[in-house]
Amino acid sequence: MITILDAAYVVAILGGSILAAKAIAPYIAKIYTHGPSRLDRFLDPVENGVYRLIGVDVHRGMGWKEYFLSGLLVNLVQMAIAFVILTFQGELPLNPQGFSGVRWDLALNTVISIGTNTNLQHYNGETTLSYLSQMSAIQFLQFTSAATGICMGVAMIRCLLAGSKDLGNFYVDFVRSLTRLLIPFCLVAAVVLVALGVPQSLNGYQTISTVTGASQMILIGPIASLVSIMQLGTNGGGYFGANSAYPFQNPSPVSDVFEICLMLLLPTALIFVFGEMLGPEKKREYRPILVAAYSLFAIDLAIGFIPTTTLGPGMETRFGGFFSAFWTVVTTAVTTGSVNASLYAMHPFVILAAFMGMLIQATPGGKGVGLMYMIMFIIITVFVVGLMSGRTPEYLGMKITARDVKLVMVAFLIHPLVILVPTLVAFASGAAAQIGVSMNASGFTQVLYEFTSAASNNGSDFFGASANTPFWNISTAIVIFVGRYAPIAILLAMGGSMIGRKRSPEVGLKTDSLLFSGVLVASILILVVLTFFPFLAVGPILQYLHGQANFLG
Amino acid sequence: MASGERQADEPGRSQAWARVLWDSVARLSPLSLVSNPVMFIVELMFFVVVAMAVDPAAFSPLSSTADVTFYVEVAAILLVTVWFSTLSDALAEQQARNTASSLRRLESEVLSKKLVREDWTEKVVPTPSSALRRGDVVRLDKGDLVPIDAEVLEGIAMLDESLVTGESAPVRKAPGDVLIGGSTVVSDTMVARVTVDPEESYINKMIKMVEAAKRPKTPNEQAVTVVLIGLTAIFTIVIASLAGLSVVLGLGGDLSVMIALYVCLLPTTIGALLPAIGLSGMSRLYRRKVVAKSGKAIEAAGDADVILLDKTGTITVGNRQAVEFVPVGGHTAREVGEAAFLSSWYDDTAEGRSVVRLAYEKGLIPKELNSLSKSKVYEFSATTRTSGVLLASTGSFALPKSGKEMDKGGRISRKHADSVADLVPSGDVEVIKGAPDAVKAIAPSTEESDGVAESISLEGGTPMAVVRDGRLLGFIRLKDTLKPGIKEKIVAVKTMGIRPVMITGDQPLTAKSIAKEVGIDEYVPQAKPADKYGVVQSEQAQSRIVAMIGDGTNDAPALAVADIGLAMNSGTEPAKEAANMVDLESNPAKVIEVVMLGKQLLMTRGAVTAFSIANDVAKYFAIVPVLFASAYPALERLNILGLGLHTAVLSALIFNAVIIPLLIPLAMRGVSFKPADTMTLFLRNTLIYGAGGVVAPFVGIKAIDVLISLVHP
Repeated sequence: MITILDAAYVVAILGGSILAAKAIAPYIAKIYTHGPSRLDRFLDPVENGVYRLIGVDVHRGMGWKEYFLSGLLVNLVQMAIAFVILTFQGELPLNPQGFSGVRWDLALNTVISIGTNTNLQHYNGETTLSYLSQMSAIQFLQFTSAATGICMGVAMIRCLLAGSKDLGNFYVDFVRSLTRLLIPFCLVAAVVLVALGVPQSLNGYQTISTVTGASQMILIGPIASLVSIMQLGTNGGGYFGANSAYPFQNPSPVSDVFEICLMLLLPTALIFVFGEMLGPEKKREYRPILVAAYSLFAIDLAIGFIPTTTLGPGMETRFGGFFSAFWTVVTTAVTTGSVNASLYAMHPFVILAAFMGMLIQATPGGKGVGLMYMIMFIIITVFVVGLMSGRTPEYLGMKITARDVKLVMVAFLIHPLVILVPTLVAFASGAAAQIGVSMNASGFTQVLYEFTSAASNNGSDFFGASANTPFWNISTAIVIFVGRYAPIAILLAMGGSMIGRKRSPEVGLKTDSLLFSGVLVASILILVVLTFFPFLAVGPILQYLHGQANFLG
Repeated sequence: MASGERQADEPGRSQAWARVLWDSVARLSPLSLVSNPVMFIVELMFFVVVAMAVDPAAFSPLSSTADVTFYVEVAAILLVTVWFSTLSDALAEQQARNTASSLRRLESEVLSKKLVREDWTEKVVPTPSSALRRGDVVRLDKGDLVPIDAEVLEGIAMLDESLVTGESAPVRKAPGDVLIGGSTVVSDTMVARVTVDPEESYINKMIKMVEAAKRPKTPNEQAVTVVLIGLTAIFTIVIASLAGLSVVLGLGGDLSVMIALYVCLLPTTIGALLPAIGLSGMSRLYRRKVVAKSGKAIEAAGDADVILLDKTGTITVGNRQAVEFVPVGGHTAREVGEAAFLSSWYDDTAEGRSVVRLAYEKGLIPKELNSLSKSKVYEFSATTRTSGVLLASTGSFALPKSGKEMDKGGRISRKHADSVADLVPSGDVEVIKGAPDAVKAIAPSTEESDGVAESISLEGGTPMAVVRDGRLLGFIRLKDTLKPGIKEKIVAVKTMGIRPVMITGDQPLTAKSIAKEVGIDEYVPQAKPADKYGVVQSEQAQSRIVAMIGDGTNDAPALAVADIGLAMNSGTEPAKEAANMVDLESNPAKVIEVVMLGKQLLMTRGAVTAFSIANDVAKYFAIVPVLFASAYPALERLNILGLGLHTAVLSALIFNAVIIPLLIPLAMRGVSFKPADTMTLFLRNTLIYGAGGVVAPFVGIKAIDVLISLVHP
């Protein structure tokens, strides 16, 4: 178990992140409600210029289909551009290391992975990608995918607001997410990271002489800017294959804590934004989301912290067992997927905790999308238990229809489908054995983790560059794509039907109560975590029972 | 008669049981299970396990244990699980049939004497009027009611058609004459042929619905079914993947165990009981003598936000009672009381009777009493809005001994008697009573009298002016009496978070005071029946669900738009047709019960759903440890229940099956609840059925496991 000091760290870090999120929420809400801001003077001309350039009618609202398809289209175009850059990086500038073009299946996997905010990386950045690829293809997609996720979440919120006429305009939301949220926040974060010792340079390999007099070649690059968006945008795709376990991405315990806070900031802030946008009367409705997200997160942490005293042989010693486990749980809870220590080194319980975060996807989940998932869980829970209050189930005063339930169930079903079926295929086709996965509990855990991470758009994995084969590149790309867009589309379809729906002024089941939050947590544990219990049992749980403290071998 | 009925019931009961059993078995056919996806899959799994028992080798490598006995046991439990489900259906339908037939008996029907010719003799068969068809021949004896329009075939008789035509003199009817349904035979006997088919009554149509085997699913049932299908799909993916993994990784799992886990995880409890819960909800409504047009109406009742209550008949007994005589202008209470006594002597309304009774009880017996026998009575008329008497000559009465006797059987006792000597005769006296503004023409009011009248109104009473020979003596204070138990019902309604709104034709002040007395915060005074429509619409415009009652034709539009419209059976046909429920007992306060029943129905459905899903926790822990027992004995450490390696699966399956019949009483009776606010109900039900649903199977499965290991050591 953890020490009191460790527990104090956890409380301080989580508490600090939640308070910071709460503090910036009114500002973020204003971005999407178009409230007056002091930044208008500088940003309005820029944004209006962009709107004119892409021919957007700022005042035209969109229905759910148009909003979703606009987002999808923008993402697809960006992925296509990134695909071209990666494929032809050998012939393009800013390639001091002289890397050749990326093979098509890896390029496909990479653009889909990064473009969907997943950042499952089947490559080592430092030995595969040029500066141009890192900055334009990777970093650019990290910004746009984060912006897309936030837009979808905000659109979902608008669906739930009384008096909404449409979901808003995707292009406007998208541009404002970048200009008013991601770019300024990343700028600040990058400066802090540089101050904490993260390099930001375009000078390629540096030859330095060590204290012993020998000379050593080390790679630096535009790392601070990438790290800031990778953490803040819950992307998780690192500059280096070793991600934030590598000192240049995460030089010290202070940067470690700072990066954890960065990861938590936006997903948590969006929960408060939900409350802000609901208005004074319904503001308290953000509470069950916050309480459930952080309660489940606390359960994850508790499971992950059970074994921190037993460090595996591969455990990152710079941050120690506690911070390594903490990071792993956080990065899966917010679907970032960056790592500060190798997963192979983790105790099965930490992996179990990581699984829980990725299976639930809403603790608090990726920014925007995590909120959508939590709303999905709320609708299911309200429907299943709401009847017990003696009224037909309502959320925010709206009656839940059979169609809502149908859509929510389909969205809910996608997750097990795109995790379990490919896992089975990977073993049955021999693709798992091909990359050296053993046919035992550890091997099963690794494959299950790969697809769970892909489906939940997390991005952390065991395999890394070793899974750079056509099967793994293509299968995970499909899983990532479906796991990202299908639930968003379905949930927006449900949300779209809620626009203009009758809202009863009477409150039946109080969804803002602590009691409901508790029931919500229980129902998520039963419906989500227990569904996967048989698989977790033959994976990490069996590993633990077999006494394999870690995954080496 | 009563004993005869009971005797007739005995064979009926065993027949009913036989029918329930037969229905439950007949429904095991996969074709009739299609509408219940969860049970359909359980039956499908039954066939798979049967196939495994027949030829285990065909399922290799998923038949690793090849334990045919075990397969047979699993198959048997699966079949019993499905049977429990069809049994609950059949039971609920039996219950519905019973309540429906008891309702039908309630409908006032004429039992006619239908003549049936058998061989060369004619037999009389008692037949309800609704069962008669055109061309049937009936015999009509003296005193019989003509069941339906008919034509005389033989015999001549006198008939009283006054109920139908209003003509009081009996009419002579001979062969060829037409008899009107509803008239009575006054003398002699005749035989007649029915000339029309009885139109199916509206109530009959409603009752038929509950008996129909194919009942359309209500919106809420549909949504619950969607959840069940969704969960089924998820568990299908899970179990199919497990089976696949077992093959691919060579985990040596047995398909029968996986099927057991599958069936245990499926929401079989709610899947089995869902139809029964809906039907029983309807039966409970019928048992309270309320018929509903659809199950949807009952669900809507549970959602009611606002209930519109007519003051008269719902909140108050409908008749105002005199409680005090208030004098004005220097007159005494005695003068007012005596004048009121005189003015009300011939007033047989409840109000009038209460006036006389009050005066008598207070000893305010007028000396002009004798003159009443030869007085002129002014009946109440809509133009003058007053009533009274003009006393002319002498006469004498004997008064009964108590006020109660005065007001006997709804009529004032006016026995004449000559023995009372001390009552003196008097000259002409005119006494009038009426609403204060109605008597103004006869007796001008003063500032003082207006003040008194208003203060009576303010205190919730209704002032009735008493005028003697053109002088305003004072007022009778009339007061509404609340229906017994209505206060408690209003409290219950408010506790449940429902707003009661009182609709009344009274003056605002009177309305306010009654509303306050009964505990209602909102009221619509001076409302005409047609105003209800506006109230319903304005509440609905604010997205509220409105429940209301109505009886008159005026109420029909409002009943039609209200979410829950309860019509009185005593009301007009248009009102009944517009409503979605009809109370056969015509008790307006029943709308509150209907709302409670709606809530109970929803709660029961929710409770069983939550219970069913919460059960899964224990079942995982029972079966997962033994799932891959051969390949991974280490998983046995997850066996926190300490179940037997070989009995765990059977124990979980048996629990899963047995819980269905155990919950049938709950499904048919509905969850019990005391009126409370939504969150209290939610908390209570969540603890009992949610938390209880997590704990119960841990206890149950362990208990069954211990029992099995005792039988099979």
